[in-house]
This record gives sequence, C-alpha cells and structure tokens, in this order.
Amino acid sequence: MTFRFWPRSLAARTAFVLLIGLIVVQGAGLAIHAMDRIDVQRLAQARNLAVRVIGLYRTVVLTTPEQREEVVAELHRGPDLTAELSSQPPVTDLPEMPVPMQRLFRVSMNFVGVPGPQRWREMQILGGPEWRRVVVGLHLPDGEWLNVTAALEPVRPWHSPTFLAAFLLMTVAAAGLTLWAVRRLTAPVRTLAAAAEALGRDVNAPPLPEDGPLEVATAAAAFNTMAARIRRFVQDRTELLTAIGHDLRTPITRLKLRAEFIEDDEQRGKVLADLEELETMVSATLAFGRDARTGEPVSALDMAELLRTLLDETGDARPEAASRLEYEGPPHWTVRARPLALKRALTNLIANAVMYGGGARVRLVPPASVGAAGAMLTIEIEDDGPGIPPGELERVFEPFHRGEPSRNRETGGVGLGLPIARNILRAHGGDVVLANRPTGGAKATVTLPA
Amino acid sequence: MDQPPHIMVVDDDREIRDLLAKFLEKHRIRVTAVRDCRDARRAWANGHYQLVVLDLMLPGEPGLDFARWLRTQSDVPIVMLTAMGEETDRIIGLELGADDYVPKPFNPRELLARIRAVLRRAGDSTAGPRHDGGSRPLRFAGWVLEPARRRLLNPDGVEVALTGGEYDLLLALVERANRVLTRDMLLDLLRGRQAGPFDRAIDVAISRLRRKLEDDGRNAQLIKTVRGGGYVLAATVEHA
Repeated sequence: MTFRFWPRSLAARTAFVLLIGLIVVQGAGLAIHAMDRIDVQRLAQARNLAVRVIGLYRTVVLTTPEQREEVVAELHRGPDLTAELSSQPPVTDLPEMPVPMQRLFRVSMNFVGVPGPQRWREMQILGGPEWRRVVVGLHLPDGEWLNVTAALEPVRPWHSPTFLAAFLLMTVAAAGLTLWAVRRLTAPVRTLAAAAEALGRDVNAPPLPEDGPLEVATAAAAFNTMAARIRRFVQDRTELLTAIGHDLRTPITRLKLRAEFIEDDEQRGKVLADLEELETMVSATLAFGRDARTGEPVSALDMAELLRTLLDETGDARPEAASRLEYEGPPHWTVRARPLALKRALTNLIANAVMYGGGARVRLVPPASVGAAGAMLTIEIEDDGPGIPPGELERVFEPFHRGEPSRNRETGGVGLGLPIARNILRAHGGDVVLANRPTGGAKATVTLPA
Repeated sequence: MDQPPHIMVVDDDREIRDLLAKFLEKHRIRVTAVRDCRDARRAWANGHYQLVVLDLMLPGEPGLDFARWLRTQSDVPIVMLTAMGEETDRIIGLELGADDYVPKPFNPRELLARIRAVLRRAGDSTAGPRHDGGSRPLRFAGWVLEPARRRLLNPDGVEVALTGGEYDLLLALVERANRVLTRDMLLDLLRGRQAGPFDRAIDVAISRLRRKLEDDGRNAQLIKTVRGGGYVLAATVEHA
C-alpha cells in the first residue's frame, strides 16, 4: 500500500519532507517554550508565596501563644491568602500536591530561610495537580499548625503576542525558503528530463547549458557527451545510407535508359517496374537521411488544400482507389510549416492507407480553441484495411521495420515511409501515432501545432 | 517533316551520355553529348543548339557555373538534371534561368516529354513574348506563381498546393495569359503524369485549378473555357 498523500514530483517530495520536518521542529520548539514559561511563572508565584508564608510563620513563632490568634487574624491579608491556627494539619478536600510542584515551594521556602531556632518541624503542601489553590501547613515548634491557603494565578504560556507573531513570521519565512530552495535545486532535473525528451524527438536538439552546481554541471556535460555520441552514430549511419543512395542513382539511370531499348514490350514494362521499385527504395532512403537535417524554411501553407491535392495525386496515380479517397474538414486552413517536408510526411501516410486499405478517409480537425498556446491541429487518416497487430503499432515506426514479410514483398515499400513521416512531424513539434479502429481498419492520427 | 531539333547533353557518365543520345535520336532529336563544362563550351562555340540538357553534378567546373555562363551567351533553354530531391540545387538552378529540371535517376520518357515541352515553348516564343529567364515570380489577380519553387501563393501569401500536372497547366496558362491554349497543347503537358484517359484529365485538372483559385466553375472569370476546345487565363500577368 502506498501513502495516499505522497506527492509524485521530486520537488514536491523534497519540499514535503522538509516541511514536515520544519513543522515537527517548530512544534517542539513551541512546546519547550511554553513549558519553560509555565515553570518560570510557577516558580515566581512560589517565591512570592514563600516570602509571605515565611513572614507569617516568623511573626507567629515570635509571638506568645496567647496573642497568636489575634496576630494571625490581623496579618490575614488580602483576598488571595488566608491563614489560621489549628491544632492539626490542614484538612481540606484537596489532595496532596504532586511532588515536582511541592518541590517548587519547598525550595523557595528554604531559599527565603528561617533562622535556626524557629525552624519548623514539618510541612504539608496540599493542592492537587491543578494550579488553582494551595494549602501550606507549617508545624509550629510548640505543636500547633499554621495553615495558609492561597489562591494561585493560572499560568499563561501564550501571554506574549509579539512572541507569537515573531514565531509565525519565522515559520513562514523558513517554509518559503525551503520551497524556493527545493524548486531551484530540482530545476536541473526537470531541465535534464526535458533535454532527454527533446533528444528522443530530435537528435539535433540544442545541448544543455553546462553551468550551475558542480553535480548539475557534471550531469549536463555527461548528457551532452552522450547526445553528441548518439548524433555521431546516427549521422554515420545516415551518411552511409545517403552515400549508397547517391551512388545507386547512376546505375539506375543507365538501366532505365537501357530498358528503353528492350524490344519486347512486356519485358520492358517489367524491367521498368522493377527499376521504379528500386528507385522508390533509394529515394526513401535518401529522404530518410535528409530529413534528419532538413534546411527547408518554414512558410505559410493551406493545409486543407494540401490534403486535397495529395488525395488528387493519389487518385491520379491509382485510379482504382480514386472513389475511396475522401476529404472531410474546412475548405481552407493555414499552418506554418516546411511545405515539402510536410507534403512528404502526409504523402507517406496516405500512401500507406491506400496500400493496406485500398483507400483513405482524411479528416482535418482544427483545434478547439484557435490561437491558444499549445493548440494542436489533428489530421486523421483512416483506412478499411486489415489493421495492424497491436504489438506492431509502435514498431512500424522503426526504420526498415517491415511487418509481415510476405505482405510487404507484395506491396513493396522499404519500411521507411512511417519513420520518415514521424521524423518530419516531430521536427514540426507534432507527432503521428497509429491505432486500430473499433470498426476495423487502421487510423493514423497526426498532430501539428496549429 | 521539318528539321529535327539539335540539343546538347552534358553528363559525366559515358554510358548515360551514349544511351541518352541513342534514346533521344530514336525519338528524332539530334544530340551532341559532352562530358564536362570545358567540352561543352567548345561544342557551344562550334554548333547551334535549340536546348541544353545539363547535369549539375559534374567533375571540375560545377554545372551551375556553366549554366550561369551560358545565360550570358544566349537564351537557349536549359533542362537540368539534379540530384534526387536536392531542393537547394534545383531552386538555384531554376533561379539561374533553367527552364525545367528532372531529378536523377530520371525516367527517359519523362525527360523526353519535358524536352519537347520546353522546345515547344521556346519555339512558340517567336510568336509572342517568352517569359524572360523562366524563374521570376509571376503575379496575376493577386496570386503569385513562383516557377523557382514550383509553388502558388494566394493573395495572403499562403502556399496553395498543386499537383505536378496542375502546376504545368497553370504555368502554361499564366505564361500565355489572354491567349487561348488548345486542348492539344494542354494534353502534352499532362502526358506522362496521368494514368487515366488524357481528355478527362484536362477537365479534371482545370476544375481543380478553378477550385484552388476560388474561380467559380459555372461562371469562371479567371480560367475561361473557350468554345471549340480550349482555355484562356483572363488576367494581367506581371513579374513580381
């Protein structure tokens, strides 16, 4: 079982732990402060009382037994203190005071001091655990008891408003500093995550700044080195592919020319078809290599018209599919993009739908809120083909991945159409994913910044 | 039958040179094939050519430099062979004044069709003004057609996609604005691009162009249908 309130982010977790710690420390501090104030106030009261009780005691002791009643009655002062002489220790409904509290009084009385001969024999302190009333019984040397009953002021540990204000201010300041420091210290982790994400989408993403605390700078440097190695690796492979593609162009051109001299029409057609296929593979490879470092400028284009034009082109090239190519959406929709790259990406997706589904339904869905930051345009390309096995839905975006070999052999294709499309769309800040429709067939969903 | 056109082919691969010469000659085009820019200059000095097919990837002097030099000498149409999909080469080439480009590896029949189309356009120029250089943007009724990038911009500057055939058709109409283009001429432009019957292809392409130019099909103001089989672009065209 996991703790329900355990936050997910590192910053929130760290702040959570630190704030809990802060609360515990402040709570303990407050308790210590309160207890200390209680002790101080009680001690002061006990001192005060001790001075008065001892004064009374000494007066009584120095007085003759006949005059005592009178003296006690006279010296019985104030509403908070009464004294009486008795032949026995104090009898009240109050139980004996707890020992730690009694100690306060005893110590205080010792501190005030009584001259030697008049030292009392015995003392009783009653009052119970509540700090409300205390009864002190002093055994006089001649056997009588002087019983003093005093009211005790309640202790007030929270009496000082300035202290509470200062304490609150300190707590808020500490909490604020904690949150700020945590945010600052975990920021590099967020930056690193964002950089890793960006690298996954585009190997040419800009490097991380190698500054900040030592550990952060080291991590950033390590990350940049890793990114550089990945880039180098991708570049090497891409350059190899591109070089092969370039070198193949001359022999393919020669073969195409030679094919024109084949007298047998059927054979010539077949040779040309083979060469067409070969050329498609080479151009796909070159396109894949080129897209990794596209230099095409961004400009405004009418996405709706582009989609209709691509469907028209597909229909022109494959008249048998023309009746199953549909466009649905607004008649015009302007986006900013790299026109040739975007055209290539969408052509690949439509060609895929036609190849496996015999047709394509293209739907352009403008973003719900136009102009909002992060508003995305959606393009859905549906077909009525057999769909894609669930395990293949992501793998088909891997370069040179070809689903079931037999199916691809028949339909051609190099296994680069979808990776190229995804590369291009991601370079535009969008993406493409494939899914199977519940009613059968596949659906490619393209998202692009509107 | 009139004289077959004479063209120069500049390509560094001997096999391609020979095969292309043989192929074009089979289709009644006289060919002088040379291997680099030096030989091309020599051949240019010694002959008269209606068109030059120029590979941009040449050893020694780059093809683009030769094209630049050639432009200072003459208005002869140039068809460039570019590396497949190398956009920058293509755009520079067209801005320099190439009349068309064919990516390598090319389909020989497509190259032949392009050569013929360019020759026809060039031949036509004696009768009317040929657009100079072939690559400067053309403005008509607020729209801009950029031959260098083969793209159409609407009055707001937003690119409106065109298929290859639509582009060729629109370029032909814009270059000969206010003159009737026969169906035969337009058919040639689409030949090799379409799989379906050509007659219908023209009508389909025209109707798509009208839609894109927001020209109402039943009451077309921009691309007008001429009775007896032809179309005309009714607009003033200027170089932007």
